[in-house]
Amino acid sequence: MPRVTVQVRDAAGHTATATADYELRQPVLGGYYLSGGADPTADMAGGNFRSLTQYRSFADGYVFPGYNRPWLIDLGKAGVQMNMVLELKHYGAPNAGPQSFRVDVTDYTVPAPSMTIQQRPGTTWPKAYGYGQVLRGQCDGLLHRALAQYRFLGFGVNIQLASELDTDHEFGTTEDGKAYTWAESDARAVQAMNYILTWFKARTLPPNTTFSVGVAGFDRACFQRTHPEPLMSRLDFLQWNVYATAVGQTALSRFRRTKDWAAADLGPVALSRPAIIAEWGVRSAEIPDQPAWIATVPAAIAQLNAERGPRIARTNYFNSGWGTLSPKSAGLAALRTAYATRPYV
Amino acid sequence: MATPIATAALSASVYAPGDQMLLTITYSDADTKPLTVTIVVTDAQGNSSAPVKVAAVIDPLTVTVTDDSGRTWNRVSDNGAVAVYRAVA
Repeated sequence: MPRVTVQVRDAAGHTATATADYELRQPVLGGYYLSGGADPTADMAGGNFRSLTQYRSFADGYVFPGYNRPWLIDLGKAGVQMNMVLELKHYGAPNAGPQSFRVDVTDYTVPAPSMTIQQRPGTTWPKAYGYGQVLRGQCDGLLHRALAQYRFLGFGVNIQLASELDTDHEFGTTEDGKAYTWAESDARAVQAMNYILTWFKARTLPPNTTFSVGVAGFDRACFQRTHPEPLMSRLDFLQWNVYATAVGQTALSRFRRTKDWAAADLGPVALSRPAIIAEWGVRSAEIPDQPAWIATVPAAIAQLNAERGPRIARTNYFNSGWGTLSPKSAGLAALRTAYATRPYV
Repeated sequence: MATPIATAALSASVYAPGDQMLLTITYSDADTKPLTVTIVVTDAQGNSSAPVKVAAVIDPLTVTVTDDSGRTWNRVSDNGAVAVYRAVA
């Protein structure tokens, strides 16, 4: 922290000294995600894109950098800050059964995922490694496999455990035939996240490794349940996602919602952590002029960061799903302009 | 001689790059007194000049500002009791 020192001196050499410390705020990092985890290099080229979100399942044998993703190493070595979302969720075929593999000199057999999440009625419920499985140590091999790959990556990343715990738990979860409510699922997830953090932090990690847990941030009670102070003391960032999906929703109101809940409900440790917006987007169906909406984001972030509560440190545009830029060229141009504007510079 | 006293206050605790930073210094010393010397020149015949007034300060104070990040602070104003310096974050 820089310090300015004032000295007042009289003719006889008597002096008085006063000091004042100040902090220089780093620019907010403007970031991106391209649908399907595809190579975003071309979209980011020439723009002030300094942050990227990626998704991997612990079930996948290729977590770092990912299967056929050499570009991730290039971007990371070029200084793009990676937010790697590592999920217990199984992304589906081909290997939803048990897995046997060797990491370094250790042989592991990890059982098939035993939990279902995102149990929205009328949909096929995705499978995930269960919180009970994690706590019993049955997923240690998955953690070890990811860590072994991470150590070869060449740079530190933020590991975001889970994509959206609220989305995962909204309709309850089921593990080994036992149903858990939303709140029960949150409590079990916090235990499992703690287990995974303990596992990683007990081992040598690449420099600049940080951790967070993932939430969409649409439910206030869930947000509070999944951010207890003991867990936050082991995490480096808060995180939530931001979407505008209805007419009249402003950037300020959407980015503000979860932040205000955090400021009102969370403890001092949580509030000392900066926030990563792992996904943000504006849905063209309701808000066709995506570039106009995107243009309001820098001022909204600057205003929120001038208020009490966690500072938003990174915002990664989600060019997929709800955030799909259409037409892409106009949306990308708006993003480039926004990221060339304070507080992004 | 008395020892001076000084306080320093910044316009904010956190600055974004490019922000204007203002430093307000309040300072004084019990010995520091402004005074006015009035001079009248009188010749042998008793003719006197018009009085001339000169301001002087007993034990004036000098203010120096340093920044351990190497940032340059420039004086904006100084009235002998309050000085304002400016820098760019």
